[in-house]
Amino acid sequence: MQNALQLVWLIPFFPLIGFLINGLFRKQLSKSLIALTGCGTILVSFILSVWVFLQVKNGNSDVAEYFNFISAGSFKVPFAFQVDALSSLFLLIITGIGFIIHVYSTSYMKDETGEHYGRYFSYLNLFVFSMLLLVMGANYVIMYLGWEGVALCSYLLIGYWFKNTEYSKAANKAFIMNRVGDFAFLLALFWIVSKTGSVSFDVVFSKASALGTSDVTIITLLLFIGATAKSAQIPLYTWLPDAMAGPTPVSALIHAATMVNAGIYMVTRSKALYSLAPLSQDVIAITGLATAILAATIAMKQNDIKKVLAYSTVSQLGYIFLALGVGAYTAGIFHVMTHAFFKALLFLAAGSVIHAMGGEQDIRRMGGMKGKLKITYITFLVGCLAISGIPPFSGFFSKDAILLSAYEHNKILYVVALFGALLTAYYMFRLLFLTFNGSFRGTEEQQHHLHESPAAMTIPLIILAVLSFAGGFAGIPDIFLKGGDAIAEFLSPVLPPEGGKTVSHSTELILMLLTTVLVLAVIVLAWFRFRKYKPEEEKGLGKFLKNKWYVDELYEKIIINPLDRFGAFLSNVFDRSVVDGLVNIVGRLVNYGSRQVRLLQSGQVTSYVLLMVLSMLLIMAVQFFLRK
Amino acid sequence: MIYLLQEELSKKVMDVNDIASYLPIGIQIVCAAGLVAFLMLVTHLLGPKRKTADKLQSFTSGIESHGDARQPVAIKYFLVAILFVLFDVEVIFFYPYAVNFKGLGWSGFWAVLLFVGFFLCGFIYIIKKGALKWEE
Amino acid sequence: MISLTGLNLILPQLIIALAAIIVMLSIAVKRCHRFTNLFTLLSFAAAAISVLYIPRGSFGVSSLFVVDGFGKFFTVLIACAGFVITLMSYHYLNAREKRNEEYYILLLLSSLGALTMVISNHFVSFFLSLEVLSVSLYALIGYLKEEPAGIESGIKYLVLAAVSSSFLLFGIALIYMQTGHLDLSGIAAGLSSSGEFSGVFIAGLAMVIVGIGFKMALVPFHLWTPDIYAGASAPVSAFVATVSKGAVFAFLLRLFYSTGGLENKNVWTVFTIIAVASMLFGNWLALRQQNIKRLLAYSSIGHLGYLMVAFLAITDRGMQAATFYLVVYFTGMLAAFGTVIYMSNKKGEALYIDDYRGLFWKKPWLAAIFTTVMLSLAGIPLTAGFLGKLYLLTAGTEVGIWLLVIVLVVSSGIGLFYYLRVVAVMFAGKNENEASSEPVIGKIFPHGLVLTLLFLLLLWFGVYPSSLLEIIQQIASVIR
Repeated sequence: MQNALQLVWLIPFFPLIGFLINGLFRKQLSKSLIALTGCGTILVSFILSVWVFLQVKNGNSDVAEYFNFISAGSFKVPFAFQVDALSSLFLLIITGIGFIIHVYSTSYMKDETGEHYGRYFSYLNLFVFSMLLLVMGANYVIMYLGWEGVALCSYLLIGYWFKNTEYSKAANKAFIMNRVGDFAFLLALFWIVSKTGSVSFDVVFSKASALGTSDVTIITLLLFIGATAKSAQIPLYTWLPDAMAGPTPVSALIHAATMVNAGIYMVTRSKALYSLAPLSQDVIAITGLATAILAATIAMKQNDIKKVLAYSTVSQLGYIFLALGVGAYTAGIFHVMTHAFFKALLFLAAGSVIHAMGGEQDIRRMGGMKGKLKITYITFLVGCLAISGIPPFSGFFSKDAILLSAYEHNKILYVVALFGALLTAYYMFRLLFLTFNGSFRGTEEQQHHLHESPAAMTIPLIILAVLSFAGGFAGIPDIFLKGGDAIAEFLSPVLPPEGGKTVSHSTELILMLLTTVLVLAVIVLAWFRFRKYKPEEEKGLGKFLKNKWYVDELYEKIIINPLDRFGAFLSNVFDRSVVDGLVNIVGRLVNYGSRQVRLLQSGQVTSYVLLMVLSMLLIMAVQFFLRK
Repeated sequence: MIYLLQEELSKKVMDVNDIASYLPIGIQIVCAAGLVAFLMLVTHLLGPKRKTADKLQSFTSGIESHGDARQPVAIKYFLVAILFVLFDVEVIFFYPYAVNFKGLGWSGFWAVLLFVGFFLCGFIYIIKKGALKWEE
Repeated sequence: MISLTGLNLILPQLIIALAAIIVMLSIAVKRCHRFTNLFTLLSFAAAAISVLYIPRGSFGVSSLFVVDGFGKFFTVLIACAGFVITLMSYHYLNAREKRNEEYYILLLLSSLGALTMVISNHFVSFFLSLEVLSVSLYALIGYLKEEPAGIESGIKYLVLAAVSSSFLLFGIALIYMQTGHLDLSGIAAGLSSSGEFSGVFIAGLAMVIVGIGFKMALVPFHLWTPDIYAGASAPVSAFVATVSKGAVFAFLLRLFYSTGGLENKNVWTVFTIIAVASMLFGNWLALRQQNIKRLLAYSSIGHLGYLMVAFLAITDRGMQAATFYLVVYFTGMLAAFGTVIYMSNKKGEALYIDDYRGLFWKKPWLAAIFTTVMLSLAGIPLTAGFLGKLYLLTAGTEVGIWLLVIVLVVSSGIGLFYYLRVVAVMFAGKNENEASSEPVIGKIFPHGLVLTLLFLLLLWFGVYPSSLLEIIQQIASVIR
């Protein structure tokens, strides 16, 4: 363990180096060198992560402390990394999926000029670096560093094609929503500091039990608001679908490996706090479930291939939060892992489709592509089966674990969650059938252009498909294989299993069967409905769903517009009208004498002085008024 | 110079905040206002007054005015005026020194010499830059 | 009289004062811009280094000045800022003005005012320093004779500063009337003996607050800032933003911490209102600015508001946080104005955000520096600005002034928008009408070098602040 402790800083160090090299020398380096640096640094980090994983496998955990980042009197923030089962698992996901996406990008972005190519890869490396910092930090400040870094990188990457104002707007939106979350996170951070005098995880968690319930509840709720922004939950989810504006591999990176997992990681890491705040847990469970259903209904009517996937991410994240809310942290993390596999797969496969279609993203103009894009089709199918939870694909095991914990916790939660799972199967297979089955609906030219993507894109797809298929075997429930739940065992030093299961094996089996049968039925339904697709105008509920419940419009009306107007009001009205207006009124009252003075000086200077005098009088008034 | 303002004086001012201590100021204000009022009243009463129709008519004569009354004045006037004020103020500083000449001794002498020296530097600069040359 | 043995304590101030006279005499003999600039640089450097020869501890120099760790720290800070501004002025003045030498006399004199202000322990010395600082600034702001905007803003500043000074003077008189003292320790004694503040004292304090608030450009005394920043030449704006404000802030700290004036709840409330208003208005009004100097002006209003949060904590931690943040603010503002100067050309300054469009593709290094500066001002992690803000916040949360803390977080959130807008513009597509523009006046040496240095400082303080903090911790407790 001593070795791991010394060298764990290398993991984030390499992506940082990659960022610096690609950022500074993007003009000098050739494209292949840029790609090599970008992928190579992540690969090294991945290897190191595997090594760390092997180190912590037998229950080791440690805090690697390097130097004092901040020290002010007794308050100290060490620059320290946390090495334990939870962080190492995230390290694997981030660097592993990150590496695959990097490789995929080398081909996907090859039409960019060298300079932009370098910029793209430097952003990508910086993104991975920030996420690693977030996951590895041993206290809330280091975590916050990564937290901010991730937000900044997503801003840069979503707005990568900055010439398109639509895209810049999307980037801005993502940034604003994340600011709201950051704000809550910061408040929580300072609340923690003022109550416990520290930000280090071990100190804070050991002192957590001494805190009052109200304090813990406020802290956890604030942290959760932070998490909703990063992990796209109600009410801060609308940025994620818009964030599709960036290049597709970036979407994959955001959705599968990095950004959206940040909130989940933070809540899981703060488990010691959440277990003391049942109210916050309930809030999380209900928010998660509501998000899962809302996003699933929206996804049913979207026509942009990436938008469907985006809403499905929101929905799946809702499931994970449901798991966290009912205290099933292991199940939640398990789903994070499998979701990382199949969501990366789906996005990259979608990228392959878009690539083949020459940039077209509308599924109404696709169809019948399974002949031309064989590998893409099969891998996409695997992804759909996994996300829908068909046994023995990975999604089945993780989603089942979540559904089961929901069932244990509250039957109503279970029923609603099951309904959501059916919706998932429905919209995913709608997407699959519309894209790959039926006849081609695009232009002649596009049909001619259809082709399978190069190996740099298909090999990542195949790897991910294998993972999506087999990833679930890490967590086989006890009823199938005694001691098969490897992931729970691995995580047990950090997330000890809570209590025994209350559900009997027969009930568990019946529930699984029920889910599977229902999901299969929905898939068949989707097959009949979408095998032959005819575009039609949406009406009523369909239109409502297609417009994403009009949430964006609502936000625009009640938040953005008033803020905008207030800003305009301050700059236009206040400085000019109010101040100058006051001058005019007072000027009239003070009759002709002041006119001579005003002729000597410019109008503005008098208004400045006037404001100064008025303020001084106000200060005096306040002082006298408060004197007693 | 500034040490004149310090401790010894401030001790004396400590207890001046009762209303009686403002009496001299009050008397001065009354006197000043009274003088003005008195003078105005006296001129009004004593001055000869003859009212005729001609006097009430507006008086016009001389050449017609043209152009703006506020003619731009050459910057030289301002320069000289400012410099005059500057060196005038310098003299004001000499007065308290002259009064305390004995008490301040040599250290006071050196201090004033330094002060004058600095002013001399400024004066050299002014002369060299031609600020006092009237023609040109 | 000042005895000769005490002279080494005020060595930096003496050096700068002498330098001003020598520069003046040298101009009388022969004009040489290069020599004058070099000499000014050397005297700023000498002033900073001479601090090393001042013995440790706190010494009174007559009753007007006190030389302690706090004063020395700010002396070095101001001397360094003066050094940087002098360096940046050289090419700028060469390109835009014929008679440059007097500029340095004024710069030295106003720095002298700032240097004496930070060691002032007496209202008389404070007021004299303030006047030395302001009177030279009037001329500095209007220094470019060909620029109508500069002259206009110079006159504006003259009028407003004169008004504020008269308030200040009247306030000082009223305080004197109440306590019978002009030195800070005497005022402290007067305050503690009287218990409750009398009406006269409150009126005096309010006027002093107006005077100080004006110099620091706190809302509602801020209205002059954007006009003067935009009108004055960029090096002078940098001077106003850093040296002038920083020196007054140092005196504010000394005044209220050593007299305990903030212990009074009402005074504290007034400052809280001012701080909240400064943070919110500063950032809000900056949102729609297209002119980069006006943007920086509003941003500096916000930053001074942030500083007030630490000031209002009334703890050693608050004091340290404020000092640290001030250093970060100095570095950031100097680098920001440095970039503006670098990008200016013979015809005018690069005033508008659009002038920076696509800068990243033409001068990537400069753009990287400017980006870091903006991110630091915005408080993004791994830059000094983030840590500075973090210290302010910890200082605030420690004593539980939640209103101020929340306003700080909210307003720096607002602030992000306009900082990032500038960053976004630099990375955006290329400027179309650049063919017609003249070459920029910035040169790699010394201008680019200084900017790089400031940039590295921002990163260094952002990653390893302990180096600076240790020094600050030593000086911060001395003042009380």
